[in-house]
Amino acid sequence: MKYQHTHAVGEFFASGDLQTSSTADRFSRFWIGLTIPSTLFLAMFFLPSGHGVAANHRIEMTAEETEAGLLAYRMIEHQVDGVNITSRYSTQATIPGPTIILTEGDKVRLTIRNGITMSPDQQVSVHVHGIHYNILSDGSLKIINKIEDEGAYPDHGGRFYTYLWDVAPGTAGSWPYHDHNFETHNGSEDRGLFGAVIVNPASGAVTGSNGSSIASVPVNSIKKDYVLYLADDAFWGMEIDGASKQQTPLGANPALTANGGDNVRFHLIAMGTYLNRFQLEGYQWVDPGTKQMIIAKDIGPLENHAFTIKALASTNYMTANFSRKLMGMRGSFNVTGGAP
Amino acid sequence: MSNIFRLQTPAITTATAFALLLGAMLLMAPPLAQSATNHNLALSAVVLPNGQYGYTRGDDAEAVIPGPTLFVKQGDTVSVTVTNNTDKPAGFRVPGLSDKIAEKAAPNGGTLSYTFTATKTGAYPYYGEGQELLGLFGAIVVDRADGKVERFVDGDGALKSVDASELDKQYVLFMVGSTFWATEISKAGTETPLWTNPVLGAVENDIVRFHVLSVGPGHTFHLHAHRWLEPGTNSVIDTKLLEDISDSHTFTIRAGTGVGPGNWQYHCHLFSHMEAGMHGSFRVDATNGPNKGMGNSVAGASPYGAIFGNASDDPGLVTFVISDEPGSWFRSARGDTIFSITGGTRSLEVIPPGSSVNFIMSETNTVHTITGLLWPSGAGDPSNGHPSNQGKGKSRGRGTAAIEHASMPFDQTRAYKGGGIVKLTTPGLYVFTCKVHPYMFGAVIVDDPETDGLDLGETIDLATGIVNLPTSSDLATRLLRTFFVATAPNNWQDYTSATPWKVTYPAVDVRITGGAVANLSDVLIARYGNDVALTPPTPPAIAGVGEVWIDTQFEKTAGKTKPGTITVIDAATWKVARKIALPQINMNNPHNMWTNRDQSIVYQTQWFDNKLAMINQRTGALIKNIQVGEAPAHVMTRPDNDDLSVSNNGEDGMSIILAGTTEISQMMPTQQRGQLSTNPHGHWVSTDGSKIITPNIFTNDVGFYDTDSGAILERVPTGGSAPGAHPIAIGMMPDSSKFYAANLLHHTVSVINKDGTLKKTINLIADYNPIDGTIVDRDGDGQATVGILPIQIPVSPDGKAVVLANTGGSILIIDAAKGSITEDTVVKMLPCDPGCHGANFGAKKGGGYYAYVTSKFSNELIVVDVDPNNDGNLSDAMVAGRVSLVSNGNTQTDDVVSGLAGYGGQGILAIPNIYNGWVQNLPDEWKTQLTTKQQNPYALH
Repeated sequence: MKYQHTHAVGEFFASGDLQTSSTADRFSRFWIGLTIPSTLFLAMFFLPSGHGVAANHRIEMTAEETEAGLLAYRMIEHQVDGVNITSRYSTQATIPGPTIILTEGDKVRLTIRNGITMSPDQQVSVHVHGIHYNILSDGSLKIINKIEDEGAYPDHGGRFYTYLWDVAPGTAGSWPYHDHNFETHNGSEDRGLFGAVIVNPASGAVTGSNGSSIASVPVNSIKKDYVLYLADDAFWGMEIDGASKQQTPLGANPALTANGGDNVRFHLIAMGTYLNRFQLEGYQWVDPGTKQMIIAKDIGPLENHAFTIKALASTNYMTANFSRKLMGMRGSFNVTGGAP
Repeated sequence: MSNIFRLQTPAITTATAFALLLGAMLLMAPPLAQSATNHNLALSAVVLPNGQYGYTRGDDAEAVIPGPTLFVKQGDTVSVTVTNNTDKPAGFRVPGLSDKIAEKAAPNGGTLSYTFTATKTGAYPYYGEGQELLGLFGAIVVDRADGKVERFVDGDGALKSVDASELDKQYVLFMVGSTFWATEISKAGTETPLWTNPVLGAVENDIVRFHVLSVGPGHTFHLHAHRWLEPGTNSVIDTKLLEDISDSHTFTIRAGTGVGPGNWQYHCHLFSHMEAGMHGSFRVDATNGPNKGMGNSVAGASPYGAIFGNASDDPGLVTFVISDEPGSWFRSARGDTIFSITGGTRSLEVIPPGSSVNFIMSETNTVHTITGLLWPSGAGDPSNGHPSNQGKGKSRGRGTAAIEHASMPFDQTRAYKGGGIVKLTTPGLYVFTCKVHPYMFGAVIVDDPETDGLDLGETIDLATGIVNLPTSSDLATRLLRTFFVATAPNNWQDYTSATPWKVTYPAVDVRITGGAVANLSDVLIARYGNDVALTPPTPPAIAGVGEVWIDTQFEKTAGKTKPGTITVIDAATWKVARKIALPQINMNNPHNMWTNRDQSIVYQTQWFDNKLAMINQRTGALIKNIQVGEAPAHVMTRPDNDDLSVSNNGEDGMSIILAGTTEISQMMPTQQRGQLSTNPHGHWVSTDGSKIITPNIFTNDVGFYDTDSGAILERVPTGGSAPGAHPIAIGMMPDSSKFYAANLLHHTVSVINKDGTLKKTINLIADYNPIDGTIVDRDGDGQATVGILPIQIPVSPDGKAVVLANTGGSILIIDAAKGSITEDTVVKMLPCDPGCHGANFGAKKGGGYYAYVTSKFSNELIVVDVDPNNDGNLSDAMVAGRVSLVSNGNTQTDDVVSGLAGYGGQGILAIPNIYNGWVQNLPDEWKTQLTTKQQNPYALH
C-alpha cells in the first residue's frame, strides 16, 4: 500500500474530535513500508492541540520474543513535546511492557511494530483500557470492529499500525494495555504482551494513606511507582523512580524496595484466568474512589487497583488464591532507613 | 430486519405482549411517595426445546433466559411463587437481598413461595437453586425511591446524574459458564430476549444502563472504550469482577461518549473464557452519516432456534452439560429425550449450519477444556497445523484469529471452570473433548438440510495435524465407534452377563466421502462385528502376592452422587475382598493410587475434583481428604524419603506433601513463569528420588524436574513436528536410565534417555492402514501389531518389559532390556477390552511379575505374564488370567453398589509395591513374601 499523507492526524489533534472515521483517516493508520521523514512527522504532530499544558506523546513500540519463549513489548522511542525520553525505558523487551506515563489532557500517537518471527505470521496490536480513542484505534481484529485488522504484521514488510489516544479528562487511573490480535480472537496477552498506562490526574494529587489516615498526596512527591501485574503464575513487576522517571523491570515475584517514610504507589493489574485476592500484610490503604481503608482486594483479570501508601515497615505482598499461593505468587516489600 | 422481532412474534400473542407491556409499565412507574409496594411475581420454570430450563411469567408467555426482569423500588416487598414444570427439583434464592433458602420445588408441578423486602438498591440475581446454570436465573432491579439511577461518566469527565426516565434502554446481561445471556428493556419497559452473545445496539449518546449479573464461576466484564463508576464510589473503571457463585454489577453509560460510534466488543476478560467464545458486540450507531443506524439489537442463538427436531429460521442452540457422570461427560441437556434415537449416547447433537453449541460445566467439581478433537476439513483454518514449539510453549497451534468462519480449532490454553460457546457453519462431524480428561466426548453433526443423510462431511481434520481423512476410512469409523462405546454405558462389556456384547449405534443414514449415503449402524457393524460372546473371567493359575487395588472409577454406589470405588483384589484368591467408596467425602472419580513405605496408607487421587484421599490399607477407612489442586491425576512417593508428589492435571504444577504431613508444602511449577501451562498427568519419580518426570499434556513434552530445588532440568518434545501428541503417562527403567512416554493422540511411545535426550519414537500404528483398517507387518519387524490411543506404560521391576495399555483394545509388550537386539521395539500384542487404560506390576508368587491391566468400559482385570518361563525372551508373554471386578457375597464394603458394577478400571496399585527403589524399603511382613530376586529386582544387573 502506498504511503498516504497524514493530515488526518493533524486534524484529529486540532479538533480533539475522535469520532472521525473517514476513509482517508482510516487508511492513514495503516502504513506499510516507508519511513516517514522525522521533521515532517514532527511537524504534523505538533499542530496545536487545544490543551494548554497538555503534552503530545509520540510513541513507537515493538513486540518481540523473549529467551523463555514469551512475548513482550519493547519501547523503540518516546517523545514528549519533541523531547526524547526513550532513555527512561529498558532497552530490552520486558514483562510487563514499558509503563506509559501520561497526564489527563495529553494526546498520544502510538505506533506498534511486530518483531515476532514465528510462523505463520500473526498480528500484534495494542488495545488500551480506560482512555479515549475512536474505533480505528481499538487494536482489535476486523471480525470484532467490522472495519479492519488494527494490528501490525511482522516487520519484514516494514508494516506497522498507529493508534491515536485522547487522554481525556476523567481517564485518570492505572490502565492495562495489551495485545488483542495475536493467534486468538482476543489476542495473546497471556504470553507476556501486556503493560500499564498510568494516567496521572490533572489536579496533580492522588489519595494516599499514611498508616491509618487518609491524605492527599502530590503525584510529584511519590518516590516510586510499582506496576505489579498479577498473571496466572507470577507477579510481574516494573519500578519507576519518581525523580529520574527511570523504569526498571523487576521480573517475576520481585522484591520491592522503598525508603522508610517515602510515599510509594502500587498499580495492580490482573491478567489471565485465575481470580486473586491481593494482600500486603500489615498495611491498609484507600479503596479507590472512597474514603474506606482496606487490607485486601479481590481482583480479576484486567481489573486495576492503584493505591498510594507511606512505606513504614517491611512486609510481603501475596495472593490468597489457594493454588496460586502454593505456586509461590508472593514477594517482599523491603523498607529500609528513613523516618518511620 | 432484526432477529428479535422474528423470534418474538410467532410465540407471543398480541394480548400477551400487551399484558407484558402493561405489567412492565406498571412496575416501572414511580410509586407514590413513601409508600412501599407489594409485588407479586408468579414464575413457572419450564423445559425449553434444547433441554435447558427457563422461567416464564404467566403460563402462555414464552419462557426466557434470563428470566423476566422485575423492577421494584427500594423498600418494596416482593412475593414470588414458582411452579416447577421441569423434570428436576429447583429451589429459589435471591442472594444479596435475602438470606432465605427456599425448599426445592418438586419436579413436574411442585411449587414454592418466597417473600422478601428489597432493602438495598442495585440489580440482584434470582435463581432456581440446583438448576441455575441450565437457565433458571433472572434479575430483580431495585431502584431508588427518588428515581435516580447510577451516574455516568461523560466524555469530558463530568459525572452526570440520571433519572430512570432518562434511560434510553437497559440491558440485563448474565454471565454464565462462558456465555452471555441477555435481555433488553426498552424505554417503554418492553422486555425483549436477546439470548446468547447478542449484538447490543444503541445510538450514539443514548443513555444506556447495564445490569451485569452472574451465577456460577466468576468472571470479569469488560466493555471496550467505555468507562463507568464502581457503584458507591467515584472510581472510574472499565472492567469489573463478578465473584464466584453469584454477583451483580449495575452501571450507566452514554453510548460512545468521547469515543464515537463503532462495534465495541464486550467480553469476559478471563483468558480461557475469551478463548471459549465469551464475547459479543455493543454496536453504537451514528446519528447521521454512513454509520447511521437505529440502534437495534440483534439476538444471538437461542434454545428456540433451529436444532434437530425444532425447525426455525433463527439460529439455534444446543447445550452440553459437562458432567462427572460416567459416559455422560458431555451430556446434551435434552439427552434423556434423544438418546433413544442416538443408540444410547446422550452426547450426540444435530444442528443445521449457523446454529451454535453451548457448553456448561455445571455438574463437575473440577476444571476442564472444551477442545475440538476432529472437525470437517472446511471448518479449520487451512494455515493451521504449523509445528508446535514443544516445551518452549510458543505456538498454540491455532490460527483462527482473523478468519471469520473458521470455528476450528476450538481450544483453550488453560483448564478452567465455566463453559463455552461456538457457532458451527461447515456441515460435517465435530467431536469435542476435554484435554484434561481425554475420554470425555461430545459430538455434533452439522447437517445441511439440503442433502440426503446426516452430513459427516467428505473428510475430517484432527487436532493432531491429520488433515483430509476420509469419513469413510477405517480410522474415522473406528473413532466414531470409540465415541459410541465410551458415551453409552449400555455399550460396555459386561463379563457377569451371559448375553453377548452388543453395541447399539444410531440406525440413521449418514452422508460420507463421495456423497455416499449409508446406514451408520450397518456400516459400523459390518466393519467391527457385534453380538460378541464374552468368556467369563478365569483367574491366573498361579497366585499373586498381596493385594491389587483397582480404581473402578465409574462404579456407582447408593450413598453418594459422584462415581467411583476402589476394588481391592486378594491376589491369593483373585476375589474382590473389599469395595471402598468413601460416601462420607463423596469420593469423586478415584483415578490413581500409591502407598507409603510401610504400605499402611493408600493415597488416592480424585481426578474430577481437587482432592487427595488418604486411606487405611488394612481397613479401607478414610484417614484424611485434602485439597491438592485441580484434577489431581497421579500420586507417587519418593523412594528415599516418602515425600508425596501429586500431578495436578488441571493446573501448572506438582503438589508436594512432605512425608508425615497432610498439607501441601508447595506447588512445584512445571514450566518457567509465564510459559504455557503444562498440565501434567501420569508422572514417575526416579529411583533415587532426585527427579520427577512428567508427561506434559498441554505442551506436548516430557519434563524433568529436580525434586529438591524444583529446577526445570529438561523439557523434551514428544510429538515431532505435529501438534497434539498428548503425552499422558511415564514408565521408567528400574535404574532411571531410560523413560517411556505414551503419546495418547499420536499413537506413539517416546523413549527418552536419562539426560533428557530423545532416544527413539516407537510408532504403534506402523502396521495399521488408517484407510482400509488392515493390520499387517508393514514395519518389517515380523509382527503385525497395533496400539491405538496408548495410556499407561510401566516397566517391569526387573527392567525386561514395558507393558502398554491401549484404549483401542490392545496390550503391547515392548522389549526394554538394554542391549537386546529388539530393545525398544514392540515384540508382542495381546488382546484387551474397550477403553484399555491402566497397567501396573505386582509380584507373582514364587518369583516373577504380573502386569495388571484395566479397561474403562469392561468390568474385568486382565493379568499379563510377560515372561512365564522367566527366560528373558518375551515372545511367550501371555494373558495369564482374568479377574472379575464385580463384588461378591463376601466383599466388604462401605457403601452399596448401585450401578455400573466393576466398570471404569483405571489406576492400579499392587501392594506390596515391588518397584526398584521402593521394594527395598518394605517392612518385613511384606518383604518376606517376596523372593530374594524380587526384593532386589535390578541392583544385581
